[in-house]
Amino acid sequence: MAAPNSAQRKACWDARDQLWQCLDDNNDKIQSCQKFQGDFEANCPAQWVKYFTKRRDFLKYKDKMQREGFTPAEGPQ
Amino acid sequence: SLSRTPDSSRVALKLQTRLGVTLLVGVGLLGAWWWVEQEKQQRRRRQRVEQLRTVALGQGTFSLLDHTGHRRTKQDFLGRWVLLYFGFTHCPDICPDELDKLSTVVSALDRDPALPRLQPLFITVDPERDDVAALASYVRDFHPRLVGLTGTPEEVRHAGRDFRVYASAGPKDEDGDYMVDHSVLLYLVSPDGLFLDYYNRTKSPEQIADSIRNHIRNHVPL
Repeated sequence: MAAPNSAQRKACWDARDQLWQCLDDNNDKIQSCQKFQGDFEANCPAQWVKYFTKRRDFLKYKDKMQREGFTPAEGPQ
Repeated sequence: SLSRTPDSSRVALKLQTRLGVTLLVGVGLLGAWWWVEQEKQQRRRRQRVEQLRTVALGQGTFSLLDHTGHRRTKQDFLGRWVLLYFGFTHCPDICPDELDKLSTVVSALDRDPALPRLQPLFITVDPERDDVAALASYVRDFHPRLVGLTGTPEEVRHAGRDFRVYASAGPKDEDGDYMVDHSVLLYLVSPDGLFLDYYNRTKSPEQIADSIRNHIRNHVPL
């Protein structure tokens, strides 16, 4: 399976950006963005779908940590 | 007359002699100091080169196939400033971004006619999939002078080891596709084949170009 070429990379990134914009607009409710999710999966190799999904999770988590701070887990008593 | 007694003229002569001798000694001392300074600077330069040697990054020789199918070794790139990136063609975003950055840097430096032309290199960390043909179509999207390099897994591992590159292929999915986790750095190698500097993802093209201009300006050939 050949690697995506420049046009294919761009198509995938654009689909991803559309999906993420929809998720941002819909409070991360994936149900409201099924069409974009479908486009994203159609335009990107499965490995990239997994990679970008994980990346978004990580970015959201990082954002949450920076905004809300975190309470360290309780250590041994 | 009272003005010039034999005593005072002897004193005058003694003064002249003393002044002359002092001047000579002074010039001699200055000259000695300058010579010592030159020696110190030379020693410092030699020490720095030795330090770079002991860090031993990019010390070895690599032997790889370029994207036109020709064998290239490290020796082939001596005499050129090299900017090098390790990646793989199935990479979702980081490698195209870094290669775009690399291309921007090289193009920016190309615009200065006083600077030597940099040699951009892309070495794969995924030799199983990135053969000569795959590299040929991949490098087309970036700087025209970008040379892609591949080889057997052992040849590629050898080149990566030389730069302490971390690369780890992930599990294959049902399509046989997989990711390669790898360190993301641009490496600067001098015309003597010495590793001089590295640039991570946070460095902008302008910062990298400025750094390279500095290295070129301060370069002391071995």
